[in-house]
Amino acid sequence: MKEITAIIRRDKLHETKRVLEELGYPSLTIQSVDGRGRQKGALCGEMDSEMPESFCTAVKLKSTPSSYAMEHTLPKVALFVPKRLLTIIVPDDVVTKIVKSIIKVNQTGKNGDGKIFVSPISGAFRVRTGETGGEAIS
Amino acid sequence: MKMIRAFIRPEKEQEVVLALEGAGFPSLTKIPVFGRGKQKGLQVGPVHYDELPKTLVMMVINDGEVEKVVGIISDKARTGFIGDGKIFVSPVETSYTVRTGEAAL
Repeated sequence: MKEITAIIRRDKLHETKRVLEELGYPSLTIQSVDGRGRQKGALCGEMDSEMPESFCTAVKLKSTPSSYAMEHTLPKVALFVPKRLLTIIVPDDVVTKIVKSIIKVNQTGKNGDGKIFVSPISGAFRVRTGETGGEAIS
Repeated sequence: MKMIRAFIRPEKEQEVVLALEGAGFPSLTKIPVFGRGKQKGLQVGPVHYDELPKTLVMMVINDGEVEKVVGIISDKARTGFIGDGKIFVSPVETSYTVRTGEAAL
């Protein structure tokens, strides 16, 4: 079993869910998270792929530091971009297929498309029936 | 590669993030969470707080940088009082960049 952790744009969530459903792996966990990447969260284009440029400029002008930064002396404010984090547990043999489809749906070619991490899972249990291992996630 | 999950005080978040950025690790994800530890929450007079707010900082880094990152987080998030948090390190096999589709961090 493998755990696929995908951090994607907010506006791509529904499309990603639909693709996963078509592949036959509809079970997933979604979290609203804030993140930053190599651009240090400063890029407005990261927020939503279709955000108009005028709005980006307005956001930059009106952005205020957090209350913590107002009270303390920090060199600058760390910026974050809202994202959606998906956690999917799948059998070993379909990992590549699922990762490729997630990439295909989420690719816009701009910074902020997100990251996908694949890590091993050593056990799974279904609470209702007490099934273990592969049966628990099928 | 390794995934680092650090549970830190919410008020220490900015300090930790800026320190990590200064050391060359700008990428991370933060999640607000509620949890409790060994002390089963917090007792303030007659009021018992079972779960306390924490910030979960999640980042994926190369194997050789684990010690450095854990050092920075524990150094900046430490106050010396109960509730400073925990750091967990777990393995990650592959990581993909969606923009390029490459299997690279």
